[in-house]
Amino acid sequence: MKDPKDSGARTDNEQTRRRFLFTTGTTTVVAGVVGFLGATARFLFPNVLYEPPSRFPVGRPDDFPPGTATFLRNQRLFVFNGDAGFYAISSICTHLGCNVNHVPGDGFACPCHGSLFDANGQVVRGPAPKPLAWFGLSLSPRGELIVDEQRLVEPDYRFKV
Amino acid sequence: MTEPANVLRPLKAGWRTVFRVGWPRTDKDRAAAMISSFFLHVHSAKVKPNSLRASYTLGLGLVSFYLLMVLVVTGVALMLYYTPSPADAYRSMKDLGFVVTFGPVLRNMHRWAAHAMVIAVFLHMCRVFFTGAYKAPRQFNWVVGVSLLLLTLGLSFTGYLLPWDQLAFWAITVGSNIAGYAPWLGDDLKYLLLGGTIIGPGALLRFYVLHCVILPGAAMTLVAVHFFRVRKDSLSAPPAPAPAPVAEAAPGRFPASTRSYGLMALTDRPAQPVVEADPDEDVMAWPHLLHRELLLLLALLVALHVVSLVFNAPLEELADPTRTPNPAKAPWYFLGLQELVHYSALIGGVIIPTILVLALVLIPYLDRTPHGVGVWFARERRRANWIFGVFAVVAVILTLVGTFFRGPNWAWVWPWTG
Repeated sequence: MKDPKDSGARTDNEQTRRRFLFTTGTTTVVAGVVGFLGATARFLFPNVLYEPPSRFPVGRPDDFPPGTATFLRNQRLFVFNGDAGFYAISSICTHLGCNVNHVPGDGFACPCHGSLFDANGQVVRGPAPKPLAWFGLSLSPRGELIVDEQRLVEPDYRFKV
Repeated sequence: MTEPANVLRPLKAGWRTVFRVGWPRTDKDRAAAMISSFFLHVHSAKVKPNSLRASYTLGLGLVSFYLLMVLVVTGVALMLYYTPSPADAYRSMKDLGFVVTFGPVLRNMHRWAAHAMVIAVFLHMCRVFFTGAYKAPRQFNWVVGVSLLLLTLGLSFTGYLLPWDQLAFWAITVGSNIAGYAPWLGDDLKYLLLGGTIIGPGALLRFYVLHCVILPGAAMTLVAVHFFRVRKDSLSAPPAPAPAPVAEAAPGRFPASTRSYGLMALTDRPAQPVVEADPDEDVMAWPHLLHRELLLLLALLVALHVVSLVFNAPLEELADPTRTPNPAKAPWYFLGLQELVHYSALIGGVIIPTILVLALVLIPYLDRTPHGVGVWFARERRRANWIFGVFAVVAVILTLVGTFFRGPNWAWVWPWTG
C-alpha cells in the first residue's frame, strides 16, 4: 500500500498529513480520557453531607450540676460544669477515633490503644498524637447551651452563663 | 419407528457442537480437549512433572483461586438478602442467621473462606519467595501477585463493615482513621473512602460497592493476568532430576501397564518404557494436572463445609457509634498493624506498611541473580530467605500478639488468664 507520490526521499522529521492526523487524534483521545477520569475523581468527593450538624444544643445549663462531668453519648463529648464555668471536651480519641472513657479525678483513657489523657485532655501517654479537642460554647436565645464543634478552643476556656 | 441409534444420532451431534473433542482417549485428543475448551485452555496441553509435585507448590495458588470462586458464589447469594443501609444491614444479617434456609451456612462459608483466603494468599507468597519462583522471566507476575495480596486484604476489610455490628463498626473506625494519617493525602483519602467524615450511610454504601463490584472486578482481572502469565512463562519447576531408573518412574508418569496406576490408567496410550519418554519429560495435563486440581477442589469444599457447619461467623450487637467496646480490635489480619499503630499511628500505620509494600514489589528487581529457582530454601539464596523469613515471622508474631495478648486498653494480657 505504498503511496504512489511517496518518493521515499522524505526525512523522518518531515510532517506528513498522516502523521499530523495521527498525533492530533491520539492527543485528543488521551486528553479526553484524562478529562473524563479527572471529572470522575472529582465526582467521588461529595459536596453535601447528610451528617449530624456540628453545632447543636445539648440542654439547659441547669441540666449540668456544678462539679460534674456529663458524657453525651450521641454527641460523643463531655460537658463539664467546673468552678470557673462550663467547658466541653470531645470524647473522640485523637489517635484512631475510639471513645475515651472518663476517669473521675484522673483524666481520660482510650480503650483501643491505651492512650491516657489528663483532666484537661492533654496527652499523658501515647500513642495519641494530639490532645482531646475542646469545643466552644454559647447560649441560644432559648437559654440552651450550644456546642460548636467547628470552633476549637484552648484548655483555659470557660463559659460563664 | 426408528432405531434407537438413529434417535441418539442428533443428540450426539448436538453434544459434539458443545464438546468438539468428546471424551479424549488418546494423547492427541487429550491435548485437543485442553486446547479447544475455553475453561481448560488456561492449562497447557502438557506440563512439567516436577511442577505437579504437591510438595513443591503445596497447591496454595490454586487454593487461593478456589477460595475466591467460593467467595464469589456465596457472596452473590448473600447479596440477594442484604441491604446496604444502616437501618437495614443489621436486620439483613439477622435474617440470614435465623430465617433464610441455609443462610447461616452460606454466611459462615463466606466468612471462613475470606479468612482462609488471606492465609492462603500470604502462604502462597511465601512459597513463591522461598522457591525463588519470582525470578526472570516472572518478575512482573510477582508484582501482580503482591497487588492481589493487597486486593485480598482490601476485599476482606471492606466486607468487614457490612454486617454493621459493633465488631464491624469499630474495626472500620480504627482502620479508616489509619488512612487519615497518610501524609498530605490523609484527610482526602479518608473523606473519599467514607464519602464524608463519619462512618454512616455513605460509608456503608461505598464499602458495599467496593466490596461487591470494584475490588472483585479488579481482583478477577488481575487473577486472569496472573494466570495468563503463569501459562506463558510456565509454572516454575525444580530442575529436572537426572533420568530416573526404569523402576522409579518420575511422578505422574507411569507406563499404562503399571497396575498401581488405577483409574488413571484408563487410557489407550501404548505402553512405552519410561526411558523412551520424550526428551523434555512433560506429561499430559489431562489427566495428571486435572485430576490433582479436582481432588484439591473436593478436599477444600469438604473442609469448608465442615467448618461452616460447625463454627458460626460472629455477629455482635448493632453498631453503636457512642459506645466503644474495650478493647476495640481491627480484623485479625490487621492486628499486627494495630500492634504497630499502638506505638505510633504515622510510623506504624503508614510509613512501615508503605515501605514493606514497596520492598515486596521491588524484590524481583533487586534480587536479579538467576540462582536457586524451583528449589525450596536453595543454598545459594540463604541470605534472601533469611531476610524474608524474619519479616514473615515478625508479621505473624505481631498478628498473634495483637490477637491473643492484648486486652482492655490494649494492655498486655496472657490468653490463658482470660
